[in-house]
Amino acid sequence: MSLLWLRVAVFLYGIAALAVLPAALYDRPRWRHIAIPATIAALLFHFVSLVEMLNAAHHSLPVDTHETQALLGLILAAAFVLVYWRYKTVSLGIFILPICFLFGLVPAFRPGQETTPFPQFHTGWIFLHIALLLTAYAALFLSLMASLLYLIQERRLKQKSPTIAWLPPLETTDQIALKTLLFGLPCMTAGLLIGSLIAQQTIGPTYFLDPKVLLSVAMWLAYVGMIYIRRHSGLRGRRAVYLSSFVFLVVLAVWAANQFSVVHRFTTP
Amino acid sequence: MNLVLLGINHNTAPIEVRERLAIPAGRLADATRTLLHQPGIREGLILSTCNRVEIVTLQDDTLNTETTKADLLRFLHEYFAVPPHTIQPHLYEFREREAVRHLFRVASSLDSMVVGEPQILGQVKESYTIAREVGAVSSQLDTLLQRAFTVAKKVRSETQIGSNSVSIASVAVDLARNIFGSLQGKTVLLVGAGKMSELAARHLIQHGAANILVANRTQARAEKIAADFNGTVIPFDEIYTQADRADIVITSTGAPQKLFGRSHGQHFLQRRRNRPMFFIDIAVPRDVDPGMNEVEGCFVYDIDDLQQVAASNLADRSREAAAAETIVSDEVEKYQQRLQSRDAVPAILALQQNAEAIREAELARSAKRLAALTPEQREAVEALTRSLTAKLLHPQLTALRESTRPKSKE
Repeated sequence: MSLLWLRVAVFLYGIAALAVLPAALYDRPRWRHIAIPATIAALLFHFVSLVEMLNAAHHSLPVDTHETQALLGLILAAAFVLVYWRYKTVSLGIFILPICFLFGLVPAFRPGQETTPFPQFHTGWIFLHIALLLTAYAALFLSLMASLLYLIQERRLKQKSPTIAWLPPLETTDQIALKTLLFGLPCMTAGLLIGSLIAQQTIGPTYFLDPKVLLSVAMWLAYVGMIYIRRHSGLRGRRAVYLSSFVFLVVLAVWAANQFSVVHRFTTP
Repeated sequence: MNLVLLGINHNTAPIEVRERLAIPAGRLADATRTLLHQPGIREGLILSTCNRVEIVTLQDDTLNTETTKADLLRFLHEYFAVPPHTIQPHLYEFREREAVRHLFRVASSLDSMVVGEPQILGQVKESYTIAREVGAVSSQLDTLLQRAFTVAKKVRSETQIGSNSVSIASVAVDLARNIFGSLQGKTVLLVGAGKMSELAARHLIQHGAANILVANRTQARAEKIAADFNGTVIPFDEIYTQADRADIVITSTGAPQKLFGRSHGQHFLQRRRNRPMFFIDIAVPRDVDPGMNEVEGCFVYDIDDLQQVAASNLADRSREAAAAETIVSDEVEKYQQRLQSRDAVPAILALQQNAEAIREAELARSAKRLAALTPEQREAVEALTRSLTAKLLHPQLTALRESTRPKSKE
């Protein structure tokens, strides 16, 4: 059944991704009234699918890339709904909802066959480790998108061309960019700490030499550095986008480091 | 009954004529009451704004076209003491479908001087409320006006006709909101004192800007403006040390040289930890170096920039007006259809009542022969006769309903 719910969720993400275009670009409230409920319904179905998947005895956490992507899609969609609720802007949906759709599409129609042979991974802690880190990644992605919107809006205002209705005000995008980063930091910190403790118990002290672990520490430092710079110098606009992009590249490197990581290679085909 | 709309507006009459026919809000009820007492008028409404005076009436079928127009003209002449020859050349008249269309267009702000301006709907609603209070609007006109409000709402929600500002002051507010979002608690610095800058400041305050700082070479003038806005005066020679307190700076001095240069912008931004600043330069010659706009976080708009945005917004409104006209046309069509189908209702009801009377009479005639029937059998006979009557009437009722629908174009 979890696959069916996931497919329904993907279908709803698709509707929301299409509806958000006229809702944001042409400021059509009728389309916004489709996009937001569709996203919320998709979130519910996606969540149910995830819970069912976790309840399945043989598969208690997102193991393969596709499933991790689906979980990341769920978190991104939740973040979008939260941003809408707080700031009443659907503009970020233009980027986020198609990603949610694509992240859900593959696992919904070609579920992963990989599983983990390690019984200790069937615990809530490892799931928490993954979920917290994915939340931090989603927060960073959202912050990057908000910074990009800031840049576009800033350029429009500087060029004195008529302003675009779908772009949120500069201060709103700046707030979204900063607050999502601030939200992401404790998630990343807690996620890394939980991961470290699990690795310490299962692998021993050598886990720290793993390339992914080392890159994760670098990522955390870059993340903290970025927040420090943004908060203390009021960094905005182009330089904020550069900084967020750099940290985002580090995050992608951490993600890709799975290929070289011993600690994180725990799946069997 | 005949729907007749008679009026003058900014397109047909100069201000000299419009001002003679304008009715102050306090006298509108009396004027509407007087209108209702004119011969043959069943319902009526007067819309009086600075750009138009219109009379919407529902009149008896017995009156011919010329009589109704003459009566309304006489009303205008008598009530306003304006000779008919002064009014007549500027007068327009719409009847039935065209009157409905005109009313929908007026309520939707498609007939306004500034297309899309929001005040007109409120003014129509105000006239409607007054007309209702004096009993001048009851059935058909009430339905028409309610429909006009719905159409106006639909036009606003489905098009962007009213979304962009077209005046300099409101463009400045819109731009400020694009930068700061809400203007709640924002600080505005007025450098120099001009009518336009005061107007812009007033608009910003109306939208939430809270703290007003005023700097002017003439201290007394600065104090007067500060008192008007409940603001604070800062000495003119301190503008460079205090300007960074302001989120929005409006300049309108008569200084021959630029007051603020690029380096000032960099300095302010540094002190504000890169929080954006919006410079509205209304002065000619300009007070702010356009190069300051290149400083990240500084946004400089001079009077030409503001006018350009306003003109562009106006062009956007004109484009949206085309979409709004389509909505209005569709709604006029729907309204007419509804009116026509309403005309058929009495005939349909009469036919049904007649058939029911015949059915009951026939059952009564056969009452003796049906006396032996059980209650269930009686029920079956009742149902059978009802069903027969309905089926026999069906073609006639359908034909009646069809006859009220407008013929589709070949």
